[in-house]
Amino acid sequence: MIAFEHVGKRYGGRFEALANIDFRVQRGEMVFLTGHSGAGKSSLLRLIMRLERPSRGKVRVAGHDIAGLHASQVPFYRRQIGVVFQDHQLLFDRDVFANVALPLEIQGAEPREIARRTRAALDKVGLLHREKALPIELSGGEQQRVGIARAVVNKPSLLLADEPTGNLDPQLSADIMTLFEDFNRIGTTVLIASHDLALIARLRHRVLRLRDGRLVGDQEAT
Amino acid sequence: MSERENAKAARSASPRGARSQRTVMRSRFSAWARHHRAMCLDSAGRLIRTPVASLLTMLAIAIALILPTALWLSLDGARLLDAELDESATLTAYLDSDVDEGEAMRVAEALGASPDVEAVRLITAAEGMAEFQQALGLEDALDRLETNPLPASIVVSPEDASPEAMRSLATQLEAVGGVDEVRLDLAWLERLKRLAELGRRVTLALGVLFGLGVLLVVGNTIRLAVESRRQEIEVVTLIGATHGFVRRPFLYSGAWYGLGGGLLAWVLLALGRQWLSAPATALAESYGASFTMPGLDGAGSATLLVSSTLLGLLGAWMAVSRHLADIRPR
Repeated sequence: MIAFEHVGKRYGGRFEALANIDFRVQRGEMVFLTGHSGAGKSSLLRLIMRLERPSRGKVRVAGHDIAGLHASQVPFYRRQIGVVFQDHQLLFDRDVFANVALPLEIQGAEPREIARRTRAALDKVGLLHREKALPIELSGGEQQRVGIARAVVNKPSLLLADEPTGNLDPQLSADIMTLFEDFNRIGTTVLIASHDLALIARLRHRVLRLRDGRLVGDQEAT
Repeated sequence: MSERENAKAARSASPRGARSQRTVMRSRFSAWARHHRAMCLDSAGRLIRTPVASLLTMLAIAIALILPTALWLSLDGARLLDAELDESATLTAYLDSDVDEGEAMRVAEALGASPDVEAVRLITAAEGMAEFQQALGLEDALDRLETNPLPASIVVSPEDASPEAMRSLATQLEAVGGVDEVRLDLAWLERLKRLAELGRRVTLALGVLFGLGVLLVVGNTIRLAVESRRQEIEVVTLIGATHGFVRRPFLYSGAWYGLGGGLLAWVLLALGRQWLSAPATALAESYGASFTMPGLDGAGSATLLVSSTLLGLLGAWMAVSRHLADIRPR
């Protein structure tokens, strides 16, 4: 599903964010990406989302070298990827339903289809009863679950998460991870960047370890 | 699965591939039309939710539109833009003062028979006097004259109103018996034409300048709108919105601002016309002339509204294209 082939990324010619990254993630896998802050986790995710292009090497997603995508194809490529952000990136001027429905609106789905799938996604994260609420009225954990619902509402084949439990207490973090495992179980490839090592260790999935922009560990699922 | 993959799957799975592809195209089109409708209403709603700010922007646009439009209208009113200006090009043949009315009529007929002459109009000495009195308002003074000092005259409209043709016609007419002198006011005509050309160019220059002003007003307003929705733009770009999708609401806002400004300009022009009409007509009447205040007709109103809407759209397009490039998701 994801293949990094000797990928390097430099910013401004000097700073080397990633160097010689080489790994593969199979379709349907669930993988954690760890490392201290600044190790290159976010840069790696940005490469997959094609917010950046690699300075060296190739990034392949679903078999395509995504550096070769034309600018006009990039939006369609991104629609296949669900992304969960640490700061959830919800829009505060509209309610929970509208936030979750956004990817479907962008794809131009039928209104009835939008309502059905949005409610299904909200139900999955246990927030169907809050669909009319504004994000500001929700707790941090609830906001993150809205963010997850938005990421999965269009059934992406790949789900990326950047520190999804960064601001949550251990119990909420565990709940969120369980949600990701549920999506993985129905076939979604999941890649989660996190530095919550205790939680990751408990979940026994494959772990990619980054240090100073280099891949220093690839621990198989146990 | 993406729309494309969906479409591909539908095509390969179904033996009636063409039909299902057509269905996909139709549903895409209806989604596109739905988004247009939604953004059209949404951007109008945003304008209405901030009525004072929207009205001020529209007023700025209206003021920029009023000046060139008003200038255009006054030129039009003064018939300076009239293509029929040439029709007022005439020659006047003054007859010898001893020619009586009957002979004057015969001369007029003779002149009218020339192939270069389109029409003639005889002004007898008495008619000339009456016109003169009316034009100058000197009735009392002229009444004291015992004899009419004015000669009869014949106003000749030429077939060809070009200066060369008129000059040669004048020489030709001067040779006719009974004609004392032929006057052609080419200088006046040429001056008027130059004035009209000047007026046209000034109007055009002002139009371009103030049109640019409208672009800047709309552009600046849209720039602020883009800035205030920066986070939203970043988020929708991250989850796969096309440039068109992001641009659409702002383009509609620009078009609404333009249309609103155009309507406001139209209303202000109509009010101004109302306000100036009475004194202008009174002034014209005191000179014995009839005058109607020029106003925008149907075609003129449509031109004003369409061009103001297009200017708003263009201003928004420029602002959005310029600022979307700056906005890249973090």
